[in-house]
Amino acid sequence: MNVVFAVKQYISKMIEDSGPGMKVLLMDKETTGIVSMVYTQSEILQKEVYLFERIDSQNREIMKHLKAICFLRPTKENVDYLIQELRRPKYSIYFIYFSNVISKSDVKSLAEADEQEVVAEVQEFYGDYIAVNPHLFSLNILGCCQGRNWDPVQLSRATQGLTALLLSLKKCPMIRYQLSSETAKRLAECVKQVITKEYELFEFRRTEVPPLLLILDRCDDAITPLLNQWTYQAMVHELLGINNNRIDLSRVPGISKDLREVVLSAENDEFYANNMYLNFAEIGSNIKNLMEDFQKKKPKEQQKLESIADMKAFVENYPQFKKMSGTVSKHVTVVGELSRLVSERNLLEVSEVEQELACQNDHSSALQNVKRLLQNPKVTEFDAARLVMLYALHYERHSSNSLPGLMMDLRNKGVSEKYRKLVSTVVEYGGKRVRGSDLFSPKDAVAITKQFLKGLKGVENVYTQHQPFLYETLDHLIKGKLKENLYPYLGPSTLRDRPQDIIVFIIGGATYEEALTVYNLNRTTPGVRIVLGGTTVHNTKSFLEEVLASGLHSRSKESSQVTSRLASRR
Amino acid sequence: MASLDDPGEVREGFLCPLCLKDLQSFYQLQSHYEEEHSGEDRDVKGQIKSLVQKARKAKNRLLKREGDDRAESGTQGYESFSYGGVDPYMWEPQELGAVRSHLSDFKKHRAARIDHYVVEVNKLIIRLEKLTAFDRTNTESAKIRAIEKSVVPWVNDQDVPFCPDCGNKFSIRNRRHHCRLCGSIMCKKCMELISLPLANKLTSASKDSLSTHTSPSQSPNSVHGSRRASISSVSSVSSVLDEKDDDRIRCCTHCKDTLLKREQQIDEKEHTPDIVKLYEKLRLCMEKVDQKAPEYIRMAASLNAGETTYNLEHANDLRVEVQKVYELIDALSKKILTLDLKQDPPPHPNTLRLQRMIRYSATLFVQEKLLGLMSLPTKEQFEELKKKRKQEVERKKILERRAALESQRRLEERHSDLVSHATNGEVVSLRGGPAPLRKAEGWLPLSGGQGQIEDSDPLLQQIHNITSFIRQAKAAGRMDEVRTLQENLRQLQDEYDQQQTEKAIELSRRQAEEEDLQREQLQMLREREREREREQFQAASLHTRTRSLDFREIRPFQLEPGREPRDHLAHALDLGCSPAQSSAAPKTPSPSSALEPIRVWSGPPALDQEFFPQSTTSQHNEVPSLNPFDEEDLSSPAAEGTASRPAAEPSLGPPACVLKEYNPFEEEEEEEAVAGNPFTSPDSPAPSPFDEEDGHPHQRPSGPPVPGNPFEEAPCTNPFEVDSESGQEGEEPIEEELLLQQIDNIKAYIFDAKQCGRLDEVEVLTENLRELKHTLAKQKGGAD
Repeated sequence: MNVVFAVKQYISKMIEDSGPGMKVLLMDKETTGIVSMVYTQSEILQKEVYLFERIDSQNREIMKHLKAICFLRPTKENVDYLIQELRRPKYSIYFIYFSNVISKSDVKSLAEADEQEVVAEVQEFYGDYIAVNPHLFSLNILGCCQGRNWDPVQLSRATQGLTALLLSLKKCPMIRYQLSSETAKRLAECVKQVITKEYELFEFRRTEVPPLLLILDRCDDAITPLLNQWTYQAMVHELLGINNNRIDLSRVPGISKDLREVVLSAENDEFYANNMYLNFAEIGSNIKNLMEDFQKKKPKEQQKLESIADMKAFVENYPQFKKMSGTVSKHVTVVGELSRLVSERNLLEVSEVEQELACQNDHSSALQNVKRLLQNPKVTEFDAARLVMLYALHYERHSSNSLPGLMMDLRNKGVSEKYRKLVSTVVEYGGKRVRGSDLFSPKDAVAITKQFLKGLKGVENVYTQHQPFLYETLDHLIKGKLKENLYPYLGPSTLRDRPQDIIVFIIGGATYEEALTVYNLNRTTPGVRIVLGGTTVHNTKSFLEEVLASGLHSRSKESSQVTSRLASRR
Repeated sequence: MASLDDPGEVREGFLCPLCLKDLQSFYQLQSHYEEEHSGEDRDVKGQIKSLVQKARKAKNRLLKREGDDRAESGTQGYESFSYGGVDPYMWEPQELGAVRSHLSDFKKHRAARIDHYVVEVNKLIIRLEKLTAFDRTNTESAKIRAIEKSVVPWVNDQDVPFCPDCGNKFSIRNRRHHCRLCGSIMCKKCMELISLPLANKLTSASKDSLSTHTSPSQSPNSVHGSRRASISSVSSVSSVLDEKDDDRIRCCTHCKDTLLKREQQIDEKEHTPDIVKLYEKLRLCMEKVDQKAPEYIRMAASLNAGETTYNLEHANDLRVEVQKVYELIDALSKKILTLDLKQDPPPHPNTLRLQRMIRYSATLFVQEKLLGLMSLPTKEQFEELKKKRKQEVERKKILERRAALESQRRLEERHSDLVSHATNGEVVSLRGGPAPLRKAEGWLPLSGGQGQIEDSDPLLQQIHNITSFIRQAKAAGRMDEVRTLQENLRQLQDEYDQQQTEKAIELSRRQAEEEDLQREQLQMLREREREREREQFQAASLHTRTRSLDFREIRPFQLEPGREPRDHLAHALDLGCSPAQSSAAPKTPSPSSALEPIRVWSGPPALDQEFFPQSTTSQHNEVPSLNPFDEEDLSSPAAEGTASRPAAEPSLGPPACVLKEYNPFEEEEEEEAVAGNPFTSPDSPAPSPFDEEDGHPHQRPSGPPVPGNPFEEAPCTNPFEVDSESGQEGEEPIEEELLLQQIDNIKAYIFDAKQCGRLDEVEVLTENLRELKHTLAKQKGGAD
């Protein structure tokens, strides 16, 4: 069930199968991302892969002493490029791997192009998704819906991604979906269709309890992606943005040249792996330890190397020091920037109110706090807008709803029209009318008691009291209590036992907060393995873009611009 | 990996079999056992068995974990607060995901297409061959034409009024020309020519590929062809006038195209670019490093701990060798980097990128491996380490000796039959921890300056041990055992003969060796050993002849144990434990290491594997096993190993690396060493295969691996180790060696830092380098 490992295994197998000798890896734009998530350059260099080329790059030289490993998505363009490539081969021998099912006719036209017999392998290796963490994958689709329906291109991409995931994990699941979402139903049907069509591929050893695929829609919980985050990974994504493990630091004031872009990968950064789920305060102390450790090892400029022992120690510590200095400077920079942003944007205070809006039901206090913050000049328009969005989502139907007043405050604060419009769009996207379940008020007696007790005890950490709605869904699912009228099975058969292997897919994107929730569920629930996926992994910014792209409200000029920009990105 | 040396996870060391209390040493365990548990009613053997199983399990776990995926490593931080679920990082390893191959489909479609193409090409080449098969220069035009026409039927002139390629009408001025390869017609403008050299190249290449697929060497055919080509080109000037095609063949564009394509393929097949040649060399070097480095690290770790399992000079040689390979890697990759850089049309950026990447990966490789290469102690330091170790060992030894005597007394009461000491191998692998090391004690370098003392020869000791076994076995009426023992004895004697005959050579060589132990010398030795080994097998029959003689030689020692049964018992039970024996070590390290391999490996290989456990049993079973007799029958064939092993033991270390190429057992050997050694207490620097990267995690559990820091206290935990008092004399000024080493290292760092563009580091390093050089100069001055 480890998705990172699954993809990595595919890549390793490709490289292994091509035998010894210098190799070039031919990829397309998407597979480049897929590979880069699981392999670092130095790691792959050790396997004699020295060049990485894009199949669509025109500027490739003939190098007959290289073997080519082609890892491509089976798109029409890629097949065409490959046909051209085979007609005039640039490398001595080709190992071709498609990341998904390829049609027989495409295979035939490729075969006919291979007049010089340079192709040694044609296979399907289903690494067709971005493996972010062992339990988290993404398809990097931003803007998957038009209105309430799928963009057909994205639907097929999502189907491919999801089926590839199932194949790479060797799971042939039962499917449940969120009834309130038409898109969830469509995707479930498409996946089912592929499973039926490629039944030979999906013939795996049967497990006692069949795996379960649960398809959800972001609309059901628009709160989670609007909150500020305080665990390392989520926070970095929220404030700086993680794109295929890469973080763009070029806007950080006074950044040094080699830190413009850094890579945070749990696969080969131990500090990150150990701290990605810890909260900001803990990271602070850990990074201090890291620094101290580093200082100890760091050779001082004026260090006298008086004895041979000194020199020896210095030299022997040097490689470690070097390796460490990379990690240290990276994390110190990142954490430094985070804390700068936190104080600059007054995020602690903002977050406290956000959490109150998301988790508590005290309207007057919430309203008061929001109003107060809107007056605070340190609060950015972005944060101001999201406070109002949260308020609007929570107290949409509240009797004394004073959204208009807040909107006025926003206008007075000088928040741009784009954000002000977004408030209503978000409500349209994830408001009460759309939601299949109740986000805010507890439904049954147990939950009410729980919340009551929680209120009595007070919260442990004000900034992390929010629990994504996904937690409740999964908790019910694991206990076998998830209601079939809200999350029906696709097809006649149902699961009698409690599920063991669960794959959750969120149309419209997951968040790192949810990834953390799933991580903790995995660690606390014996016998259950959960993998979370989404069309993408959101932070607030990308979520708002997603909402805009769906073009729900009025098709204003702005939103269509965003759509076209997204389209061109594909 | 950090997870491997977590002492809390797997309990090992001297655990009491009854209460699992961890005791620091063998001695302590023994005394603890006697104090605490002697009164208890128990089934000791059962306890031990369960302990053995535990140890096995622990070991398996260790080994398995090592092989596991690294997924574990990143998760250390979380393990502490797990609630029963599983961290996604820890999910059990999964198999490769689903795959589907389209290759057969692909091949089917391709074959249909290719067949057509291949047939076409082959047809042309066959015709071309026919056209060039005769001597064109000395044949009349008419005759040539006749032959040409016979190869392929020419299209009728009347059928083609226009040139099919350009569409011009044929006339008297625009004459028709026939393609000699396909017979078609075209005008002069559209006509192509194939020169004879090209034709020869094409035909000979395809003949090559047909006849000799395996030999890439140039066929004589092509040489011949080129000579002929040069002749014909001389005459071609005159032949142009009368349009006689001496040196070329007319053909149409289509045929020419096909043939040119073919030529290109041939060229590509034959041409290996420089970068490939260099790259292949580079990879070869890397493989070599991968082979040698772990071996070296094992040696260095052991030496740095003051052990004498390995020979310092061997280690030094190996170090030099490995370093040479690194230099070669560096040089080769640098060469690749600068390949074709100065050519006029500069190489394609991708070529440069490739070269850079190869260089980069080579640098990474060197960085990772070379920097992990710990340094060796200098001779002086080594002596110091050994001394420290010895002091500690000696203290323990006295205590242990007392304990051994006590237990021996107990044992005597129970059974006097010595053969019985062979017990099951399980116990051994458990308790044998310190044994392999201890064996090193008696035989290896310890004798130092002493010359050979006959009776100290381990072989002789074994021989007399075995003869005494035989006697006892006879007394006990176990005829089958007697037989096996006799067989064993015979082998030992063979070896002894061999040794005797070689002694003369050895003596004469030692002188030379002491003077210089350079590599050539080593090389020579190696070869000699190989030769001798061969000889030995051939000469097996010869030895039988001399055996009777040697028997007499041995007799005195055979009698010895008889006269002193008690002492003899100590021998058998506690080989090499007594001080008397340790003083009786046979050889100086260097020559013996050159010779001993032969003795070791000439023995039946199966024995080697049994040796460890057996011999250790003989040392230890006195403690726990109240009646080892039960298991005896099982292991009686192995018992013969008991005797021969200790002698072979000391040579195990050095030859293991010297003889690497032709020692098929080495791997097992090492495994065995570890298997017999699960007990090396936490900081004992046993050459363990776990220490892959950082050398010896056990040895210095805290802090970074500071390889061979000679200033650190040698962790001396092996109570059995006895060190050699006398060292090799006349060493070089050691500081200097070390300094030079350091200077080399620092240079490497500087290079690396420069490579990565970290100038500040370069500065610091340069500063250090200067200081080092200064120190060196000062020292030199002082020495003079």
